[in-house]
Amino acid sequence: MRTYCLIILFCSSLTAQAEDVAVSPIEVSLRGLSNRKQLLVTGRTGEDVADLTRSAAYMSESPEVATVDERGVVRAVGEGTTVVRIEAGGQQQSVTVTVTNLAEADALDFERDIQPILTRRACNSGPCHGKARGQNGFQLSLFGFDPDFDHQSLVKEARGRRVFFASPEESLLLTKPTGVDPHGGGVRLERGSEEYELLRRWIQHGAPRRQPDTPTLETVSIEPESRIMPYEEQQQLKVTAHYSDGSTRDVTHMATYQSNESAIAEVDESGLVTAGKITGETAIMARYQGFFAVFTPSVPLPGEMPADYYDQLPRRNFVDEQVYEGLKRLSLSVSEPAPDHNFLRRAYVDVIGRLPTVEEARTFLDDPSPEKRDQLIDHLLAQPEYAEHWANKWADLLRPNPYRVGIKTVLNYDNWIRDCFRKDKPYDEFVRELITAEGSTWKDGHVTLYRDRRSPDEITTIVSQLFLGTRLECAKCHHHPFEVWGQDDFYSFAAYFAKLGYKGTGLSPPISGSEEMVFAGTSGDVRHPLTNAVMQPRPLFGDAREIPSDGDPREALAEWMTSKDNPLFARTMANRVWADIMGRGLVEPVDDLRATNPPSNITLLTALGDDFRDSGFNIKHLIRTITTSYVYGLSSLPTERNVVDTRNFSRHYRVRLRAEVLADSWNQIVGIPPDYQAMPPGASAKEIWTHRVDSQFLDTFGRPDPNQDPPCERTTDTTVVQALHLMNARDLHEKLISDASWVHQLAESELQPAEIVENVYLAVYSRRPVEEELQIALDLYENTETSRRAVTEDLLWALLNTPEFVFED
Amino acid sequence: MSRYLNCEGVSRRDCLKLGLGGLFGAGLVDMLRLSGQASGKTIAPRATSCILVWLDGGPTHYETFDPKPLAPSEIRGEFHPIETNVPGISFSEHMTKLGAMADKLAIIRSIRHNQGNHGAGNHYMMTGAPPRIPVGCGAFVSFHPSLGSTTAKLKGRNSGLPDYFSMPRMSRSGGPNFLGAKYAPFIVPDDPNKDNFRVRDVSLPGELETARFDSRRDLQGAIDRLPRINEPVAADPVVALDGYYEQGYTLVSSPEAQAAFDIHSEPDELRDAYGRNDFGQRALLARRLVEADVPFITLYEGGWDHHVGLFDRCRKVLPEIDQTLATLIRDLDERGRLDTTLVVMLGEFGRTPKINKDAGRDHWSNAMSVLLAGGGTPGGQVVGATDPQGYSAVDRVLSPENFASTIYTKLGIDPNQILYTPQGRPTHLVSDPTPISELMG
Repeated sequence: MRTYCLIILFCSSLTAQAEDVAVSPIEVSLRGLSNRKQLLVTGRTGEDVADLTRSAAYMSESPEVATVDERGVVRAVGEGTTVVRIEAGGQQQSVTVTVTNLAEADALDFERDIQPILTRRACNSGPCHGKARGQNGFQLSLFGFDPDFDHQSLVKEARGRRVFFASPEESLLLTKPTGVDPHGGGVRLERGSEEYELLRRWIQHGAPRRQPDTPTLETVSIEPESRIMPYEEQQQLKVTAHYSDGSTRDVTHMATYQSNESAIAEVDESGLVTAGKITGETAIMARYQGFFAVFTPSVPLPGEMPADYYDQLPRRNFVDEQVYEGLKRLSLSVSEPAPDHNFLRRAYVDVIGRLPTVEEARTFLDDPSPEKRDQLIDHLLAQPEYAEHWANKWADLLRPNPYRVGIKTVLNYDNWIRDCFRKDKPYDEFVRELITAEGSTWKDGHVTLYRDRRSPDEITTIVSQLFLGTRLECAKCHHHPFEVWGQDDFYSFAAYFAKLGYKGTGLSPPISGSEEMVFAGTSGDVRHPLTNAVMQPRPLFGDAREIPSDGDPREALAEWMTSKDNPLFARTMANRVWADIMGRGLVEPVDDLRATNPPSNITLLTALGDDFRDSGFNIKHLIRTITTSYVYGLSSLPTERNVVDTRNFSRHYRVRLRAEVLADSWNQIVGIPPDYQAMPPGASAKEIWTHRVDSQFLDTFGRPDPNQDPPCERTTDTTVVQALHLMNARDLHEKLISDASWVHQLAESELQPAEIVENVYLAVYSRRPVEEELQIALDLYENTETSRRAVTEDLLWALLNTPEFVFED
Repeated sequence: MSRYLNCEGVSRRDCLKLGLGGLFGAGLVDMLRLSGQASGKTIAPRATSCILVWLDGGPTHYETFDPKPLAPSEIRGEFHPIETNVPGISFSEHMTKLGAMADKLAIIRSIRHNQGNHGAGNHYMMTGAPPRIPVGCGAFVSFHPSLGSTTAKLKGRNSGLPDYFSMPRMSRSGGPNFLGAKYAPFIVPDDPNKDNFRVRDVSLPGELETARFDSRRDLQGAIDRLPRINEPVAADPVVALDGYYEQGYTLVSSPEAQAAFDIHSEPDELRDAYGRNDFGQRALLARRLVEADVPFITLYEGGWDHHVGLFDRCRKVLPEIDQTLATLIRDLDERGRLDTTLVVMLGEFGRTPKINKDAGRDHWSNAMSVLLAGGGTPGGQVVGATDPQGYSAVDRVLSPENFASTIYTKLGIDPNQILYTPQGRPTHLVSDPTPISELMG
């Protein structure tokens, strides 16, 4: 079997001819602990690039100086110089290897040399010894964020049994992970492996905490950074650590790898990427000691698109151009444009949160103007319902639990949010006012942000996530596992809120009802939980202005956050609005923008953010840009060459209508105004100011649990309970058969059956029935045994229980 | 093969194993969250359903299952202990019917915790996780998925019938938290003691006739013309809704399924035995839902916050609870369902030793009594003890975490597993996953 495989490999390396073969690096210098190097062998034929690292044949001329294995890893053995010969793609190459200063390899530093092993073997991960109370009495800091603690834990605790200087091999640090002693985590390390040897030598030399003048790790780089990878192709990655003294180390074997979407491309523990059989782009993260680098593979659909296909597609604004660029990279085609009624329905639902009425639908469908789509968007953006719909979405993100902050406070906050949208407040102003809020919870609704989130760390988490798409919560307790943020960053950001003052009644049982003042105080600090140092306010990146000694630090923060130079601010909002309208974000989840979770189309997100910023953070402008693009009007029906696409907007993605939209549309169609608690009669669901208002309908369709903390993005999942509710809910049934309903009106009217059917179709589907549909309905009306009213009830019930009603198509 | 994937890693293989090959566009966090489903060990379930009776307000331990006849009268109270059918175990005087079947019950007298407010105590007992921040009495909070929502997620049958019922309302922290609205309880607010009672949504509304419903369904089928995108990779959500409608129709039109909700078909004698009040009839409905294999049912019973007039109030409500619970347990037993159905009764905490000036007792989380029966729980036993005056659990002191782990383990859910929040943050289902060994059988 093995021979057979070798033959296949041998053959494939012979047949894989390439015009041009390159080896990286062209020269290798190994010294001390930097004693290995991954070679990358790349073949180019025309525009096609292939990784030949694993198929190349390697040979070292002087194995006593350096060896090379079949994966192209060069290892130092003795000082001197040798040449490694490489045969790949039918060509020969060579690389000179120099080995010096091997004695330095004994100067082992805990943080630089030992901790990476513990991280790589997942010893310090959450489910193992990294969890808050450790595992089986042995605790390490999560992902090694606290080297002093870890060193103490290994060397000083357990009466020196974890490291045993007199006989290093008998240290628990070596006997447990190798399975010599029973280990709940199983065998994690092989006896005699390179890492085993490092640990053993470190113990032998007294398990030092640090070496004098150890350079610090400054960054990590990856090679290559991106590549187009056809289905099932492979790519070896190389990860390099860069230190403060300018030295580097190949840490390919010590990094941990993770694919953002392993269905598109997966990665193994040696850094070998394998493309799957699904078209798309993803990110593969290599993490090493709190730093990471990202490789972006693009996996195109097999087969070719005609060269001028993308040039001939209609373009209405820059959105189209950018979407097509993305589709071109993946060889995906674009769906047909959607018919007018689809566009009409989408525009109403997306911009003002309800379906068009019969009259509105008729007006639009019969309008011959070629400009009518743009005109409709302008018309809708000018409606008062626009503000209620978008405020309702923001209330989801900001609205606190009234049992926590008081019911009156929640009402005030809701009013403030709605007022901002009614006045078209530019988004940067909206955020600045929130961040610098001062005043009374009974007068100034927006100070509720600070009543709800009371400590600087709580505020930091919500503010960074909502407005910068940056999830800092992890960094509160340990270095963020997928990001650059550490505790220093977290608490420096939190320090902007250190001087927040409170006066009045805080959150007090039982109901927290009274008034509270929030103001910029003069005292208070935030301390680093490990070092106890007082933290100075510092933004996450870039520079913020100085804070005058008597000033409110939040003003400097708000200025930095909303600055035109802060790309995250505009992009986060652009992505949110894009996701609301297009059915999914360019980045998902929408508030998780980071290098390891890249947008499906980075140039589009950049352009969209820039355009939003240049419009003066005008939300309506952003909505108009998206909804007047050609891409917004595409059909949801796939073509052969885009059915696999779920992220690149080659077609419209269907989404179930949001709870409030569905409720308001249902009520509008049946013609019975709702009567919600704590609301004026007839008020719509999107105007409701707290999720405490009872509604089985809204709960069924995924309105968030008002008790929940933190508030959650809602999902548009469908469930069996939703189907059952639309089918059988008693109150819906009673409304449908009520004398006050539209059904009754239609039945009593002078309208001919065909006219009734047309009205009903316009109300529910925003289109007229096709001939066949009309005939089915007319047959029902011709049956003399059932009344006009009963037929209309049945017809409306049936339409309201089809997906064409429940979904935005 | 050695794989040094970080413990929280999820490989493509895992995804395929989970049948999620087509679910992409999900992003890392979703992948992590999905991997949470597979992180627990497989445990053979001892119980397939759980009926959790929640006495909201915090039922007194003195007047139920932990009488203290030797304590001074200002602690002892007005009631006397009674012998049960298990020598050496006494209950308080109104628990007569449960006392007569004590051989089927296990009483835990030694759970204690540190959350003396309703909101916080509810959260701790309903989720097995302490609230992250101080929570007031009036507060309704949710920081962690409830027992019922987690069971619905991990043991849901996807059968058309909701997997988690809560009647007549949701207990404060009984929600799904980060698991998502899909796992919220299905609330049945109506009073089953009324003649016209129907379970909402799962049966035809009001007077609608079956024939008319069937013709509506045919009509719906005829007019539904939205094209479906059938390639799984396209992940068309309409296809999912079709499946749910199919389940819904089956549920509505299947006489067997409808029988689950029809408590009117129960003999009068049995209905009387359960108690002709809303709670009694809800318990009867719960038994029928168990027979339809619903995995989790919460019966919420308010009014147990007896700061005032505790004894007068208990004279009325204890006999009712006693009768309903005893009938429920006996009925399940006679139908051969008790062995696979776990019945639990508790509230957020116990009540203060000293009777206050209003003849009431106040909140007291240092001691509480919890009843368990069925699901393989060895009966005729008391786990742990409070001191002779009932101030505090002193022997075999247990935590809400132990309680939650017991429920999960019995339902075949590994309490020692990690769930992922939408933030991608790994969260232990129960931080101390040790079940109460005496109850495991």
